[in-house]
Amino acid sequence: MRDVYVAGIGITSFTRLEYPLAEIAAFPSMLAMQDSGLTDIEQVYVANMGGPRVNHQTALASAVVDSLSLTPAGAAAIENGPASGSAAIKEGFLAVASGMHDIVLVTGAERMREVNNLEATDFIATLTHPLAEYIYGVTLPSHAAMFTRLYMEQYGVTERHLAMVSVKNQNNAMLNEFAHLHQPITIEGILDSPEAMTNNPYIAEPLRFFDACPVSDGGAAVILVSEKVAKSIDRPLIKLAGIGQATDSHAVHERENPTDLLAVRRAAELSFGMAGLEPSDVDVAELHDAFTILEIAESEEVGFFPKGEGHIALEKGETALDGRLPINPSGGLKGKGHPVGATGVGQAHEIVHQLRGEAGERQVADAKVGFTCNFGGFGNNVICLTFVRED
Amino acid sequence: MARDIYAYECTECGTLHYPFRMRCKNCGELEPFQFKTVALPKRGKLLTFTKVYNLPAEYEVATLGLGIVELENGIRVTGQVELDDPKIGMDVVGVVDIVRQETYDSFWGFIFRAA
Repeated sequence: MRDVYVAGIGITSFTRLEYPLAEIAAFPSMLAMQDSGLTDIEQVYVANMGGPRVNHQTALASAVVDSLSLTPAGAAAIENGPASGSAAIKEGFLAVASGMHDIVLVTGAERMREVNNLEATDFIATLTHPLAEYIYGVTLPSHAAMFTRLYMEQYGVTERHLAMVSVKNQNNAMLNEFAHLHQPITIEGILDSPEAMTNNPYIAEPLRFFDACPVSDGGAAVILVSEKVAKSIDRPLIKLAGIGQATDSHAVHERENPTDLLAVRRAAELSFGMAGLEPSDVDVAELHDAFTILEIAESEEVGFFPKGEGHIALEKGETALDGRLPINPSGGLKGKGHPVGATGVGQAHEIVHQLRGEAGERQVADAKVGFTCNFGGFGNNVICLTFVRED
Repeated sequence: MARDIYAYECTECGTLHYPFRMRCKNCGELEPFQFKTVALPKRGKLLTFTKVYNLPAEYEVATLGLGIVELENGIRVTGQVELDDPKIGMDVVGVVDIVRQETYDSFWGFIFRAA
């Protein structure tokens, strides 16, 4: 297998975007081509979850490759739920690693604000088991809430810990010009003050409004290249050193221990194993915090902290921007936003930004190894990526 | 008429599954559809629960109780819960009733109440 490098990156703001889905995919692709100086794209992968259902558009990759005037390059869309972005990166990696292509564009895009919040929640809920979960009115917030209830019971996580994740990530998002939420919040305002129940009502007990990510539009792109191409351009050498993917039962109730996220654990092990690194080698991480509890649980399952101690590391400030291991410096899904199909590519964008030392006010000092966890379904399809700066 | 929800018992090794799957998780038998249906028990223990406030559009109620229940035979199911004071580990009993109503379709499933 050949080594694969990230030569270029691009991103839109994650927010409400008033231009069509294909353009949300194409705009960050233009930026990634500008960034790398590479335009001889041989293959395009477009990650997207909701095009056919939410935007009434199929065959998105064919539209994007043409909009970018990259025809006759190959193009295919990848739909893998909220892990579509990293699944597309994996396909791009394989295309280069196999020797079939030297320059591959991976772009992710979502336009969920075309429908109202109820419809968006229902659209995401269609990833649950149709007969054993969806028919009951199960949504992703309800899965996360039932998971949180057990986590609280078993490990002593409290609503205060969840609020600390919200505050940390929304404050990080304040430093990110592409982030959806530019709204500073405090523990007092969302938990302690008399107005907290108004500011921050329950959406699915024990989860509150500020425990969930916003519904975002947005796109992000990376250009993956062979070592020879990477060394021919004047950009920092960022190697995509490890990819791990693992799956778990479709119906959440079938899992032996409902507080285990086994697919996260296995995907991280595979990713670190492939890169020849350990969780302790990581300098900066983007974890899939669609709900605040997930940042805590994933930080344990990927191996950063022992099981049941993620909230203690959070309390100590270890995961803060100036902590030992900053998690979600971009703001995460919570603050930066969660355009589902684009999220995995957006995470990779932030890590490359950080490893290049281009992250401005939110730059993690001397970051050389970065890690992402992209969590599909309710933990039934997870992809973890490990990136290393080589020079 | 009392209705049931069915689990799927592998005819090779006897392992019970819920919901349906094409291939037995235990023995991996490759002949498709080698399951017989077995009615699930109605009694069990509440494993976890939530009260949801932002419901899909067709629910004309303000909140909905949801939970995961471990039934007497060890099989776990997701269902709606109607409990005044839900607690992890409490005994519950299920009825099978309409859990989702769409324009032309009714969907039947478990609704659990205190035992």
